[in-house]
Amino acid sequence: MRLPSLRAVGTEAKLLLIGIPVLIWTMLPLYHMFLFSISPKDSAFSGKLWPDHPTLHNFEVVLKQQHYYLSHFWLQLWNSLLIAVATGVFTLLIATFAAFAISRLRVKCGRLVMNLALFTYFIPAAFLAVPMYRTMGSYGLLNSQWALTLAMVTIATPYSIWVLKQSSDQLPVELDEAAIMDGASPMQLFWLVYIPLMAPALVAVGTYALLLAWNEYLYAFLLLSKDTSVTLPVGLGNFLAADDSPWELLMTTGLIYALPPAAIYYTFKRYMVSGLTAGAVKS
Amino acid sequence: MASVAIRDVRKSFGATAVIHGVDVAIRDGEFVVLVGPSGCGKSTLLRMIAGLENITSGEISIGNRVVNNLPPKERDIAMVFQNYALYPHMTVGANMGFSLKLRGAPKEEIDSGVQRAADILGLGPYLDRFPRQLSGGQRQRVAMGRAIVRDPQVFLFDEPLSNLDAKLRVAMRTEIKELHQRLKTTTVYVTHDQIEAMTMADKIVVMHDGIVEQIGTPLDLYDKPANQFVAGFIGSPSMNFLKGKVKANGSIGFEGPNGVKLPLKAAPANSDGRPAVYGIRPEHFTIADDGAEAEIVVVEPTGSETQVFARIGGEEIVAVFRERHQFKPGDKVRLKPDPTLVHLFDEATGKRLND
Amino acid sequence: MSSTLALPESGAAVQARSARLTPWQAWGLILIVPYMLIFLLFVVYPVGYGFWIARHPHSYVQLVEDPIFVRSAINTLMFLVVGINIKMMIALMLSGFFVQARGWIKWLSVIFILPWAVPSIPTILSVRFMLNPEWGLVNSLIFRLTGEDGPNWLNDPTIALSMAIAVHIWKSLPFWTLILIAGRLAIPADLYESASVDGATNMQKFRYVTWPSLRTLYLTSTILSMIWTLGDFNSVYLLTGGGPADMTHVLATLGIRYLRLDQVDMSMAAIVCALPFVLPLVYFMMKRLAK
Repeated sequence: MRLPSLRAVGTEAKLLLIGIPVLIWTMLPLYHMFLFSISPKDSAFSGKLWPDHPTLHNFEVVLKQQHYYLSHFWLQLWNSLLIAVATGVFTLLIATFAAFAISRLRVKCGRLVMNLALFTYFIPAAFLAVPMYRTMGSYGLLNSQWALTLAMVTIATPYSIWVLKQSSDQLPVELDEAAIMDGASPMQLFWLVYIPLMAPALVAVGTYALLLAWNEYLYAFLLLSKDTSVTLPVGLGNFLAADDSPWELLMTTGLIYALPPAAIYYTFKRYMVSGLTAGAVKS
Repeated sequence: MASVAIRDVRKSFGATAVIHGVDVAIRDGEFVVLVGPSGCGKSTLLRMIAGLENITSGEISIGNRVVNNLPPKERDIAMVFQNYALYPHMTVGANMGFSLKLRGAPKEEIDSGVQRAADILGLGPYLDRFPRQLSGGQRQRVAMGRAIVRDPQVFLFDEPLSNLDAKLRVAMRTEIKELHQRLKTTTVYVTHDQIEAMTMADKIVVMHDGIVEQIGTPLDLYDKPANQFVAGFIGSPSMNFLKGKVKANGSIGFEGPNGVKLPLKAAPANSDGRPAVYGIRPEHFTIADDGAEAEIVVVEPTGSETQVFARIGGEEIVAVFRERHQFKPGDKVRLKPDPTLVHLFDEATGKRLND
Repeated sequence: MSSTLALPESGAAVQARSARLTPWQAWGLILIVPYMLIFLLFVVYPVGYGFWIARHPHSYVQLVEDPIFVRSAINTLMFLVVGINIKMMIALMLSGFFVQARGWIKWLSVIFILPWAVPSIPTILSVRFMLNPEWGLVNSLIFRLTGEDGPNWLNDPTIALSMAIAVHIWKSLPFWTLILIAGRLAIPADLYESASVDGATNMQKFRYVTWPSLRTLYLTSTILSMIWTLGDFNSVYLLTGGGPADMTHVLATLGIRYLRLDQVDMSMAAIVCALPFVLPLVYFMMKRLAK
């Protein structure tokens, strides 16, 4: 066996010198969250890197809703899921229709619509929050879960249309022409040819919209206020109302809430990375 | 099956006219090839027949129906695309049966239609595969199968062989021709490859810059090209052109570049001293003592024949010999064009002068 | 040759161009209606409403006289100028690290993406607790290692703002690193090979091969990141809540503060004041993305 050369060892050491800080930097807040969730109440604040008596008690309290702040845990989780899925579905439908019309049917005002969508995409989300709040008020939608869903769809569609248009421009025109020659109507072309071929991009966009809504905090607390209709992030935010809230329970709930998006991300990583990074910045 | 008539068809994209009034009559069952260099308008014309491109003016009829205003699916035609355009998410069978499915045909009818086409093309074992699992030639066959299944009045082919390698292209050429002889469906076939046109067509339409240069059988075009463009386009290697003057008084002949004398069988009337272009195909040279003096530049033997690049009167020409000659660059030989196979073209218009 | 999808319009319709719609155009129009509805109801109307609320000149006078607004504007500027540039430079460096072909680096890249994928609220609150001066993990460690009390992280405006910027970087660094990795992977390998043959050092390869290829992407990413960071509400709100003494607000959180104080006109006016700075960036991005 040959020993690695001194130079190779040096390169490896340099890489580790970057890699280890990156790992610590990335994991520290996440590990800290995990640490809180397995610590009994009194030792959570001891500043130790590992609790003396790790416990799953916090999870039990959360899942059984045994605390005042958590009395609607399951309902709020369900609300999050409902709104995230609704956002995903509506975004997909609206964005796919629009991308198909712009990219494949070459609708006359397609360019204008694409520019309007891009412009919306560049409005910082927080800038739109207050007027959106007022708008929902004047539509009488405040405190309705429709308000949050529609707001999330509004924020998610522009980017989705853009990504879908980019990837649909890659499909050969001849496929459409072949379908036209085969006698397909516009809607048959859409459902039987376009949708199946766009599947990877649709997965990316659907996941993007779903995660956007699941992770949203600002719009959620602005637009929803009833304890039974808010999403879980708003429920978590309510912990902050007091200075002596059970932070270990907050962290435990947060950890539980962070698991699905992480899992979804890793499941669809293949589609997400290519779909989202390719569309995000075209060079 | 049906005839196709194209009457004074024009096409503009915005202000740019790409087809300037084309008339072609295609008989029932005929195999017609539209050929020309890229950008000549042949594909656009085909797409207008298909209904993929609208017709700026003029009229196209299939059978007895004017189809200008009909969408493609009502024209009863099928098209094979250059890049096959197979639906990647459907199996071979589903690809072939898609048009029947869209028409709402019952499943048994679709299956039997697909089976019939698969039998004709030898695709039976591949029906459950996806296009990505097939070779180029097989994909091409599926694309044809998709057309056959519909049993249309007219087949349209848009450069169907240009994505295949040279050997496969020759094989598929034969296959398509055999298919046509079997089905006898009227076929319009677009290619830029004159050999494809020559080998497959009943009738060739040579197009150039949006107009029809000549319509005729392959051998018509070879023997009697109507103008210098067709003469240069049909035949490989292409015809040699030498500029000069017709000599009609006294001994008939042609005075080529730098006064070189070239033989001519007959001169057109009143043409003495007329500037013209002398056309002779590379395969119509012989070595003869009374030939024009030529200096060999490059010799390219291919085994079956030898291409010789030489200079006559300072102009480079190419000659092809079936027999073997031991030429070396720099050798002086005497090359004689066969006077019965000489073509004369007007220098300005390019029109054929002799008959 | 035209590469556009030529739609089967009828010849007659061409002669009388606008005479009637083909089914294709008609379907195209129908299919963009849903998005146009969303756009009109939830973008045009709120934006118009926002401008209408912000129409009174005295809102702006009041705004400029509000020291918290001035402070927020400065903070926002710090966020953009300092925060984004640090973030993008780290992302550029890390993208070079992550394209190294090593098994463990691949694993690390999988972990590295987590901050971007998980929700902000629990992770930012986790940082907030970590930085608690009395019982936070950081100060406990500092005390144990040095025997001295650590800084009062979130009670000092400068440190608190720096920490908010750090949280923002923690959250969005993975995304931009990913973008730059994609950019680096798109550079043809033979450029590096030929540079090696020409005897280029690693620094020279970066300077003459990598940077020229990445420059545009880097600039675009920086500008896009600036626009988005203007809308970053969570990093400040969840970490400092704008405190201490409303000294760490940025424009994104200030709007909500005014809303809470029932001064919606101020909230909208603050955003209107930011527009002269945002719109040129948006214009630049539109030019780049809408070819």
